[in-house]
Amino acid sequence: MLRLFLSLILAVSFFGSFSAKAETELWGDYSGVTLRVKLIGGGQYEGLYNEVIPWWEENTGGKIEIVTQKNHFELDKEIKKDIASGNLDFCVASNHTSFASQYGDIYTDLNNIMPASVLADYTPLILEHSTVNGRLVQMPRHSDVSNLYYQKSLYEDADNKANFKAKYGYDLTPPETWDQVKDQAIFFSNPPDFYGTQYVGKEEAIAGRFYELVIANGGALFDEDYRPIFNSPAGVEALQWFIDLYNAKAVPDGVLNYLWDDTGLGFASGTIAMNLDWAGWAGFFNDPENSKVAGDIGLVRAPMGSGGLRTGWSGSHSFSMTESCPDKEAAASFLWALTSNKAQMIEARGGLSPTRPAIWDAIIAEKKAEGDEFMLMVFETFKMSLAEDAFTPPLIPEWIEFTNALYPELQAAILGDKSPEDALATASKKATEIMEDAGYF
Amino acid sequence: MRKFLNGPWVLLMPTLIILTCVVLLPLLLSLWTSFTPFKLTKPDTLYRFVGFRNYERLIGDLDFWIAFGRTVLFLAIALNLELVFGLGIALLINKITYGQRTLRTLMMFPMMFSPILVGFQWKYIFNDNIGLMNNFLREFGVIQPIPWLVDGILANVSIMAAEIWSSTSVFAILLLAGLLGIPKDPIEAAKVDGCNSWQVFKNITLPFLMPFVFIAMTIRSLDVARAYDIVQMMTGGGPAKRTELLWTLISRTGYVDAKMGMANAMSYISIFLSIAFTFFFFYKLVEARQRLSYE
Repeated sequence: MLRLFLSLILAVSFFGSFSAKAETELWGDYSGVTLRVKLIGGGQYEGLYNEVIPWWEENTGGKIEIVTQKNHFELDKEIKKDIASGNLDFCVASNHTSFASQYGDIYTDLNNIMPASVLADYTPLILEHSTVNGRLVQMPRHSDVSNLYYQKSLYEDADNKANFKAKYGYDLTPPETWDQVKDQAIFFSNPPDFYGTQYVGKEEAIAGRFYELVIANGGALFDEDYRPIFNSPAGVEALQWFIDLYNAKAVPDGVLNYLWDDTGLGFASGTIAMNLDWAGWAGFFNDPENSKVAGDIGLVRAPMGSGGLRTGWSGSHSFSMTESCPDKEAAASFLWALTSNKAQMIEARGGLSPTRPAIWDAIIAEKKAEGDEFMLMVFETFKMSLAEDAFTPPLIPEWIEFTNALYPELQAAILGDKSPEDALATASKKATEIMEDAGYF
Repeated sequence: MRKFLNGPWVLLMPTLIILTCVVLLPLLLSLWTSFTPFKLTKPDTLYRFVGFRNYERLIGDLDFWIAFGRTVLFLAIALNLELVFGLGIALLINKITYGQRTLRTLMMFPMMFSPILVGFQWKYIFNDNIGLMNNFLREFGVIQPIPWLVDGILANVSIMAAEIWSSTSVFAILLLAGLLGIPKDPIEAAKVDGCNSWQVFKNITLPFLMPFVFIAMTIRSLDVARAYDIVQMMTGGGPAKRTELLWTLISRTGYVDAKMGMANAMSYISIFLSIAFTFFFFYKLVEARQRLSYE
């Protein structure tokens, strides 16, 4: 630890066209140290590694060996197998607030490793969400919450305005509630050429979307003892929203096989009017090379449910350090580098939401200076929704297993195989078994 | 002891040791885990014996038995269609005299694709929005897109189409090898006696081919689980479990839910399915050989 603290220096970082607030840096001399790391892969994530790894190696003399680089669900499986085989021969791994609680105590409590001055640079609430059973097991990389993108021209069209008002009795403006989203989605739809909206339709993705709508409707998934309570009026109302859109053909027929790439690419194809999606897609949507809706995109905070709350299913991508890591000081330095001001600014420029307050200020200042009105709108909207609307899923090890029990029932109701009440009753029964087995009651 | 060391056991020992390490021990370990609540993320649960609890739960689990039944149906239909198409291709290729080698090579192309890649390409073909199939049908006036991977029957048909495309050539190659080995004399004699093509095929070619048919069936029934990747890529067993097969269910239970004890109990029940198919085809193979030798 001594070497780490000796190497801890306070510095002011300058990069780009702005100056961020003083950042506690965590450099050291790690010549001869090689850190084995397992990282989340994919175009959206790998740009960071290309810049930060050489930067860290140059400044510390250490080496990074990437053992694995794959999508998060595959990485999750691999780490579970590593735990079972006791083969935790790596130091740093990508993690996520929704996944972290599954991994028991394989990851180090960073409260004991990271100096308080380093932790002070991160948003306190995000660090709280990164904590499992009182142990800070991950350093947050970027946060995710979803807001509603829409095609602006549809709302500016005089015929659309007049026809919508005549049909629904209120003005056509970007939606404030999920009921309005439903009305507008049905109004805009002209299948199979154009759809009002879409949703991710399987696995944890649809379970998460259902979860946030239940919350927005004033309900909850579990009570304080983790007994399922989503088979409620709020739950049925949430599920009915998905069903109504599917039955009205306001979403594509194949939506139940969609995951994040499908919805993102769908909106970029110009065939979707409104799309609830993450911040990371903003740059892609507004890039004329990738997107047919570039230059025609509006963004509003996620609408409200019947309970008066906005949807705000949120989580953070992160990095963790294994308890078995032989060189924790070097690993701590690398964790810091991966989530430093420099690293977060790189990702923020791509549209991702930083976990350091200083970077929010910096990126907004940079976009103002550049006159980039679109990205300015994106950052201001996401900053507000992360501050006011965001909530995590239950941070329990059973979250993924629970979503696997829930999502086939949601799909069955959407396809009309079951009524919403039957589907939620079955899901509730399965969830009760999972929670009982886990010893919650 | 000396007798033992000089006996055949010594020669068999290397094989027995390797088989024990590579096959028997993993099988015994997985059998043990099926009697525990073993979770990948909680290694200590490997040592908690819970008797037949996992099996008892599975007996009452309707989802498991529906997936079991669907897997049997999938195997029965896919393997038989692969056989029919493979036999047809083999007979056609056997007929031609020019370019047979080139065609045999071309026929093997689908086998060269990994199942994951096959799953991706067929998912794209059957995508309801941008897929080749719906765009092709649109040219012929089918405006409303067909939800290939959503509808209960169509989704299973789509997966089967991908699996059949990928594996028919295995049957074709094995049956072509059988066709090339059939003696010409009985066929020529039958033709001289006035048999038509169908009679020759039914009474001479097919009986000669039957051992090859059952060898191909046995091999395919053992490696058909490779289709897991295709199903996982195309539908993941959904939507609403409409395409759930044992392989997707076991994989999700074991690796995503991390409940490896339960997943292994499922696997041991499904092993009976594999044994039943293999036993049936071996029985038929022996029967076909015996019939051939009598004739």
